[in-house]
Amino acid sequence: MAGTALAPGKVRVKKTSAMRGHRSRLALVNAVPVTVFLLVLFVYPIIGVLSLSLKGDSGGFTLHWYADALSGVNLSVLLSTLRISAETAVLSLLVGFVLAHAIARMRPVFAALAMLIVVVPHFISALVRTYGWIIMLGEHGLINSLATSVHAPGAPYSLLYNETGVVIGTTSVMLPYTVLVLQGVMRGVDGRLLAAAAGFGASRLTIFRRIYLPLVAPGIGTAGLLSFILCLGYYITPALMGGDKQTVVAALIDQQVMKQDQWNSAAAFGVILLLLTFAGLGVLGLAKLRRTKAHARRSSS
Amino acid sequence: MMHLPPTRAGHLARALSATAILLFLAMPIVIILVTSFGADGIGTFPPKEYSTHWYEQMAAPGGNWATSIALSSLIAALTTVFSLILGATAATALARGRLPLHTAVYGLVLAPLLIPQVVIALGLFLFFEPAGLLGSPLAIALGHTVLAAPIAILIMISTLKAIDERLEDAAASMGASRMTIARRITFPLATPGLIAAAVFSFITSFDEFFIAQFMSTPDTRTLPVLVFNALQFDVDPTVTAVSAVLIALAILALALVTLVRKLSGHRSQQGGVLPVEPLT
Repeated sequence: MAGTALAPGKVRVKKTSAMRGHRSRLALVNAVPVTVFLLVLFVYPIIGVLSLSLKGDSGGFTLHWYADALSGVNLSVLLSTLRISAETAVLSLLVGFVLAHAIARMRPVFAALAMLIVVVPHFISALVRTYGWIIMLGEHGLINSLATSVHAPGAPYSLLYNETGVVIGTTSVMLPYTVLVLQGVMRGVDGRLLAAAAGFGASRLTIFRRIYLPLVAPGIGTAGLLSFILCLGYYITPALMGGDKQTVVAALIDQQVMKQDQWNSAAAFGVILLLLTFAGLGVLGLAKLRRTKAHARRSSS
Repeated sequence: MMHLPPTRAGHLARALSATAILLFLAMPIVIILVTSFGADGIGTFPPKEYSTHWYEQMAAPGGNWATSIALSSLIAALTTVFSLILGATAATALARGRLPLHTAVYGLVLAPLLIPQVVIALGLFLFFEPAGLLGSPLAIALGHTVLAAPIAILIMISTLKAIDERLEDAAASMGASRMTIARRITFPLATPGLIAAAVFSFITSFDEFFIAQFMSTPDTRTLPVLVFNALQFDVDPTVTAVSAVLIALAILALALVTLVRKLSGHRSQQGGVLPVEPLT
């Protein structure tokens, strides 16, 4: 290495081609366990679900299970799953935006504390958090005793075992995701742009609408779609806080497998969930691709 | 809207709304903790009398709860071992090597975090049922590893990327063998990441409900399956104490991870404790 002038901090041992060859061999060998594991216990079982959903009672190919899944009561369960997921996504986006925005303006100590309150519940079992909501929202729960004691009109409210309860519960489960995604985008906004707009005399509302919102829009899209996708197959909260009727697809699948031995029908529902998830991920991927391309065009011109 | 001077009304509105939302997140947890010490059982808040009765009932030897706590611990320990092995190797491949098909392997690793868990659980049920392996702790642990390994891998990738490769290069230039470098340099520097990956794998398995529900039999029910059944069908107030223990466990685990990172001088960013931030 003598005679090579190297900037401090950039000293690297020059890699020989032998070392490089070793590196790709090493990578290949190390990638084997996880690849084999996931192919056997993740990809293959999902292919199993797919093939079961297309298999008739006597073994031949059929679309019967899909036709069954997309009609009658089953269709209404699918639609209410989509509705609950959409409501949850919108609500957790709104609440998450307000909180992330407030955190961005807090003093560092408070911001760190607030982030702790956002992140810690995420690691506590969703079952436990759902149970907390059940105790809180019941007829004699905290919310209703408070509402009754201040003589709020219409109290006590029925907040449990209906869609209101489910959406409150699922929103609290999805909120950490939206807050974290939005926090990331909001931290990346260049404050000088806002200050510049203010310097040119733009009102707060105009700055918010014309500059801030467009800058954080990608985060809003990602956070919303992410909570929508995660909600589609979610089970615990709807099952425990929903009414007597089956309300979501995941609950239906559980029931068909555990109680009715209707595996084909359960598989068809599984594939429908899978396709909806892929559609959501596809939209996310396309949006990201378009942003990257637009960015590349801007920086090259 | 950082950097613009705040208005007083805006400041107040933000502070109030943030407090309300943070309460919304924290209240269910606080309520469980308080209720678990209530003498009068399920659903009354605040309790009129306090006792540790439900905790005694939970710990009663030979009872349903003690049995399933032991089963869940065994499954979580197995899951942790599997995900650490898969995590260490996969992270080495993805963070360090020149891996052909890098994107494909990375996508495969991320996929279990995004695919609906009910579909994964159904697939595993169809996979293990014909072999008569439903209810086997080993099979449930393998199922849990599908969810836990990706998290372990993501944590270990970021750990490995944070290690200065020049340290390894320097050791190599002084004649250290690859084994020595791995043992004396890479492994000690990666230990905090390994501990974090182990803790998160354990918690992921211990809390996992769906796969356990599909793969359990009446004799082998993990703790979350038992909790779910208790909430759906029975009204066994012991479940408040069990829930409180689960909360304590999660907080302890997070504290452990934070402590290890602090001690090792890892400077974590805000929200850095959450290993999974897909697609951002």
